[in-house]
Amino acid sequence: MNAIQTNQLTRSFGALKAVDRLTLEIPRGTVFGFLGPNGSGKTTTIRLLLGLLDADQGSAQVLGFDTREQPDEVRVRCGALLEHHGLYERLSAAENLDYYGHIWHMSKADREKRIRELLEPLDLYERRDEPIGRWSRGMKQKLAVARTLMHRPELIFLDEPTAGLDPVASSALREDLSTLVAQEGVTIFLTTHNLAEAEKLCDRVGVINHGHLLAVGSPSDLRSKTSAPRLFVTGKDITSQIVEDVKNHPLVQRLQQQNGRLIVDLNDLTRSHEIVALLVRAGVQIDEVRKEKADLEDVFLQLVEEEKGGEE
Amino acid sequence: MIADVITVATKELREIFTFGDVRGRSKFSLLILVLIFGIVIPLQNGRDWVTSPISIMVWGWMPFLWVSGIVADLFAGERERHTLESLLATRLSDRSILFGKLFAALTYGFSLTWLIMLASLITVNIGFGSEGLLFYPMEMFFGAIVFSILISGLSACIGVLVSLRAGSVRQAQQMMSAGMLVLFLPFMLIQFIPKSWLEAAGNLLDNIQPVQVAVWLAVILLVVELILIAIARRMFQRSKLILD
Repeated sequence: MNAIQTNQLTRSFGALKAVDRLTLEIPRGTVFGFLGPNGSGKTTTIRLLLGLLDADQGSAQVLGFDTREQPDEVRVRCGALLEHHGLYERLSAAENLDYYGHIWHMSKADREKRIRELLEPLDLYERRDEPIGRWSRGMKQKLAVARTLMHRPELIFLDEPTAGLDPVASSALREDLSTLVAQEGVTIFLTTHNLAEAEKLCDRVGVINHGHLLAVGSPSDLRSKTSAPRLFVTGKDITSQIVEDVKNHPLVQRLQQQNGRLIVDLNDLTRSHEIVALLVRAGVQIDEVRKEKADLEDVFLQLVEEEKGGEE
Repeated sequence: MIADVITVATKELREIFTFGDVRGRSKFSLLILVLIFGIVIPLQNGRDWVTSPISIMVWGWMPFLWVSGIVADLFAGERERHTLESLLATRLSDRSILFGKLFAALTYGFSLTWLIMLASLITVNIGFGSEGLLFYPMEMFFGAIVFSILISGLSACIGVLVSLRAGSVRQAQQMMSAGMLVLFLPFMLIQFIPKSWLEAAGNLLDNIQPVQVAVWLAVILLVVELILIAIARRMFQRSKLILD
């Protein structure tokens, strides 16, 4: 059974279509990354899936419950870390978690056990009685993730969990998130515009822009479907004539020259030796040749560019 | 639902009483309130502070003051601090959140008033009770108990409506202050009413039983509060609050 299934889900704000005919299936146990630039419709999608907003058209089922007809059933089974961490800064870490434990009717013993279970791997247990107002943003974000998992939900929504964190804090949070995800075995719907994060954490990703779902699949699927394989060549004596010859080779889709390095998008990476041979014959002194598939960022940019081109 | 209401109310009260908080209702300021209204003023007024029927006005007015100081924060504050959306994404029903916050404000208002009543009683007995134990007249005592709850409720209802509409805590506080001015305007204007009119009103009141007046007033307050709660329930909708 799917954890999330949407069918032509649409929501507008005035003339702006925030989510436009979104059809999506996310199997249980998946870490799904929803990628898109700011204002692309990611947060609105989460709000629709949690039943916090009603759709104008279409429908969505979350854990088998209709988000319009049974939003309470959806929220009982889900956890959410939304755009802001939403923690009470005058309360301590333990009090924040305890409050959410109360909300989900957990017993006192269970709440205490759960607080320890969640805070210990995050190195926050020893500081559980401190008011969190003076904590760093990274620590608060970790606590917010723990709060999301407090009631052992089947599905959690994380809206840009590392946004605004420095690279060290982001990386630490990603590690903690991976640990907790493995420990809890929940389905995760994660929105982000950090593509490295999506690549690291997600089994499947969807790319959204202007409310349109542009592509869905595993990161490697998307890379192979939407982007050409790449050859990076570093060397000396690369003249403009040589660059022109390479560009005109039938294997080459696109060629860029960056800091004396050639980046060649190929139709077929298994025939990359033909390009290397051409360069050697032309007298280039090659220092390094590296074959690589495009990363998720390239895929993302390509999809967004294609959509822009389509609109124009 | 009752368990959920208590959960929300307990968290609200815990935040209100958190030491050194920014709402200005810390344990320290609470102590100052009890000191002023439960010790200093009773010592200045002597036995009358407990025995005079006029002091029921004070016990009726006090909760309005206490509650209006914290109520603006209930929804406007949650929205301003970005905690409301997380709360709305939980399993709590709209009613539980609304009634939990109302209940917290109500409880804060009447319990603080009762605490000050008790402190006043102890102060007056220590200072002026040489001829025997002093206690509030029974009608006044029960009146103060009932009206402290009703006035706390009224203030909480008005505050919740203001807090739901206001864009920020500051705006909510300004609206509450303006509302208090309007409510107390009749008392301020009383000095401009001709003496003959006041005498006529006094004669009219002499013919009415005070208990009867109190009961009618209580019923009117209760009806007004029920209407305000109904309006608040209509205003409290997740989708509206999320978009706000």
